[in-house]
Amino acid sequence: MKDAPLYLRPRVDPPLASLLRDVPFLHSLVDALGSPLNVLLPEVVAENAERFRSVYRRHHLAGRVYFAHKANRSSALVRRLAACDPAAVGIDVASLEELRHALSCGFTGDRVMATGPKDREFLWLAARVGATVNLDSTGELEQLARLVREHGLGRVNVLARLSEFESDAGHGGAGTRVLSRRSRFGTPVAAAEELWTALERHQDTVELTGLAYHLDTTGLEEKARALERCVLMMDECRARGLAPRAVDIGGGFGVGYVADAGEWERWTTALSEAVLGVRPALTWRGHGYGLRNEGGTVRGAAALYPAHRPVAGPGYLDRLLSRPGPVLGRPPATLLLEHLNDLYVEPGRALVDQCGLSLVRVLDVRPTGDDPTRHLVRLGMNAGDVSLEEHGVLVDPVLLPRGGPRDDPAGDGPVGVHLVGNLCLEADLITRRLVYLPGLPRAGDVLAFVNTAGYAMDFHAHHAQRQPVARTVAVSSAGDAWRWCPDEDYWPLTHPQGVPA
Amino acid sequence: MRYDSITEAIGNTPLVRIDPSVHGLGSIDLYAKLEMLNPFGSVKDRPAWYMARPHLEEAAGGDGTVVELSSGNTAKALALLAGLHGLRFKSVTNRMRVPEIKELLLLLGAEIEELPGQSECLDPTDTDDPLTRFHQALSEPGSTYLHTDQYFNPRNVAAHAEGTGPEIVKDLDGRVPDWFIACVGTAGSSTGVARALREHDPRVRVLGLVADKSDFIPGIRTIDEVHQVGLFDPATYDSIAPVTSQEAIDGMVTLIRRCGLLSGPTGGAAYQGAVRHLAAVDAELAGTGRRRTAVFIVCDRAESYLSYVRQRRPELLGRARRGHSAATLTDSEVRAQARVVDVDDARRWLAESDTPPLVVDLRGPHAYAALHIEGSMNIVDEVFEELVRTGLPFSKRTPVLLACPVGEKSLRYAALLTRMGHPDVRSLAGGIVAWRDAGAPLVRE
Repeated sequence: MKDAPLYLRPRVDPPLASLLRDVPFLHSLVDALGSPLNVLLPEVVAENAERFRSVYRRHHLAGRVYFAHKANRSSALVRRLAACDPAAVGIDVASLEELRHALSCGFTGDRVMATGPKDREFLWLAARVGATVNLDSTGELEQLARLVREHGLGRVNVLARLSEFESDAGHGGAGTRVLSRRSRFGTPVAAAEELWTALERHQDTVELTGLAYHLDTTGLEEKARALERCVLMMDECRARGLAPRAVDIGGGFGVGYVADAGEWERWTTALSEAVLGVRPALTWRGHGYGLRNEGGTVRGAAALYPAHRPVAGPGYLDRLLSRPGPVLGRPPATLLLEHLNDLYVEPGRALVDQCGLSLVRVLDVRPTGDDPTRHLVRLGMNAGDVSLEEHGVLVDPVLLPRGGPRDDPAGDGPVGVHLVGNLCLEADLITRRLVYLPGLPRAGDVLAFVNTAGYAMDFHAHHAQRQPVARTVAVSSAGDAWRWCPDEDYWPLTHPQGVPA
Repeated sequence: MRYDSITEAIGNTPLVRIDPSVHGLGSIDLYAKLEMLNPFGSVKDRPAWYMARPHLEEAAGGDGTVVELSSGNTAKALALLAGLHGLRFKSVTNRMRVPEIKELLLLLGAEIEELPGQSECLDPTDTDDPLTRFHQALSEPGSTYLHTDQYFNPRNVAAHAEGTGPEIVKDLDGRVPDWFIACVGTAGSSTGVARALREHDPRVRVLGLVADKSDFIPGIRTIDEVHQVGLFDPATYDSIAPVTSQEAIDGMVTLIRRCGLLSGPTGGAAYQGAVRHLAAVDAELAGTGRRRTAVFIVCDRAESYLSYVRQRRPELLGRARRGHSAATLTDSEVRAQARVVDVDDARRWLAESDTPPLVVDLRGPHAYAALHIEGSMNIVDEVFEELVRTGLPFSKRTPVLLACPVGEKSLRYAALLTRMGHPDVRSLAGGIVAWRDAGAPLVRE
């Protein structure tokens, strides 16, 4: 007897859903441009920015939504965001090249936030174009101040990135201690005094415009505590004569990849059972995704992204802003507003939700040696091209049969397959999970991985074994047809291929 | 009854028959084992004392800390036991999900550490869960932690195998019930009681209840979570079934309102799960003249779960509030009745009028302390809402300028006060934000 299919079918919202229904168009793209192929919908990123902005409006908050550029290298997405309201949308860049790219795509320096580790060149260009520098440490502040003096640059807007809120005992009152993962970025709250002193010393070269944090967690409680603490520290800064206006709460708003909660729950339960050995493995060579069986008890934590998320993206921001604060009791949105603070957010993954697909050609299909009901499906890509697995995201691709939907003469129905890549390497699996598809694919079919624009499209792509790296195209809807152009040729114009005569 | 120590009062809890007209099972006698009547308030008093006793007697008066992964009743019992022996107690937990329990634990002197949430930007090679690190910290050299380890400690099971189980048999006149129903948390009570009952009569059937996977019931784990419990052995149970929080609250309400049992949601889940499961058994027994007996555990009491109920079934706590309230005004009433004044006019009113208004700032105290309009008074909106109902601290003759961050809340209160007969209450248009943006002066406390 075959197992019931354990699907993890993707959440697909309208524009992407109608693109997926145009199977001949997607096949023609792969025919012309090769496999793998990245497809982006730049309009959707603007709609997502608008969804974040509507949360701001609901809470009467001012401030920008900064796109975390590192989530995707595309020009089309950055150019489309550059065309949004300059007061509402900015960009967060984490390298010299990202900064150059943002400027070339139409962002003016005042809409740019420079974060992450910074070298002198990156700092110089950020200061020169009037970007805001999100300061990692007092050392970085000293370096920036020196640069500004040596090169006669104007006064630079800076945010102070803070960390290690949990060790902060000064403003307790919530009664309990919430632990957080240690971060390599930011100035520990306990050492902030040194930073304030340095900021005062360098007032001729830098102006503190806000405080920032980013916590790598899905937990609202940790973030709410950090936010509350920042609001109070803003007042401390003002009391010393500094004039910060904004609290930057970073990103980490999340994306829901899998549509159905039940599918996600069934699959994760089955994983525990497979690890315990009470059902057949769900994965290549019985991989447990971090779970292990110790004497009949499951130990360890599944290193998996929570693929079904009922609250993610703008909804998560709304939830964070609305819940009563842990110490002061007032919701963060109220606190921000009452303390006259602007709010900055830096969503990456959540801002490019539903913005893209990764298409791949099926090259070969054959039964696995040990189980004739399961198949190896070899794809024209490798694990670096769709790095969902690398980020712990488990979600099914959508099968796009060549020549449109076909009768299934064998009538086999759902089938479990292992998706393997094009590298001559045992470890090159697109996912270690046994993936169920509604029917057995054939060579020449296309698989579409949905929602890869955030970190999964080009983040880990490489040239190993001289395999081709995916091209990227921008697609927009033109009435009942789709129009496409290479990513680098996209500009946010109404008639990208010229005004009709 | 006279005791030398409260710990002697642990156990020997009553077994109470549920009136058949409540559960409707014609051929089954259903009994509740009232573990909520233990001195610290729950079924966990027994294992907490069993597990902690050897540590406590050894370490009494020293500088040790009893530590346990618990966000509920085990933590409560251990905190009290530790205090009784002059030791500290620390609870480490994924999340304190019931605020009253958190506050209760703090009252008992517990230290609470909450583990971090899941990473958003995941590193799949980092498979060390926070619990692994917790265990590392416990076994560091020089550690003074006394870890009771409730999910793996066999003394958790023994507490019930030697206490709860035999008590049930004794109270049923030496007979073993046909069914035993328990919620599975640490699996201690279900495993221990099942062991004791089976030793008397192996025919007893054991039903384990787990929380529905997407749901949360205090003290019950989901089917995935029970696999992480060292004491959990699927062979203990003849069947395992899920219950939802809604069923738990239904059961709790029945036990409270019909049976005089002040049960919390965990006991409610056990009752509801028992009745649901036994209904089929009862149908088969109908007309055969045979009778069966079943026992479930009422784990703890209702009082700590009011916010849990409020979140899921607010109507159970619903009662209409009396007096004036801004919430009763419609948007059109607010627009029709509220008087507004913009920043320029407000400044003139304050500076030039013979009877300048009292400025009431409705923001939080920290925001007020940081920056406010000079001479203004701070009444936080929550307090103001209370005052409009019970009585305002200013006369109707006093002109009032209400200010909030953006002029939204103040508008509602201006409308409400006008309706209440205050002739001159106005809302600052655009609020403190507009005031600041206009460059009007704000002062610091």
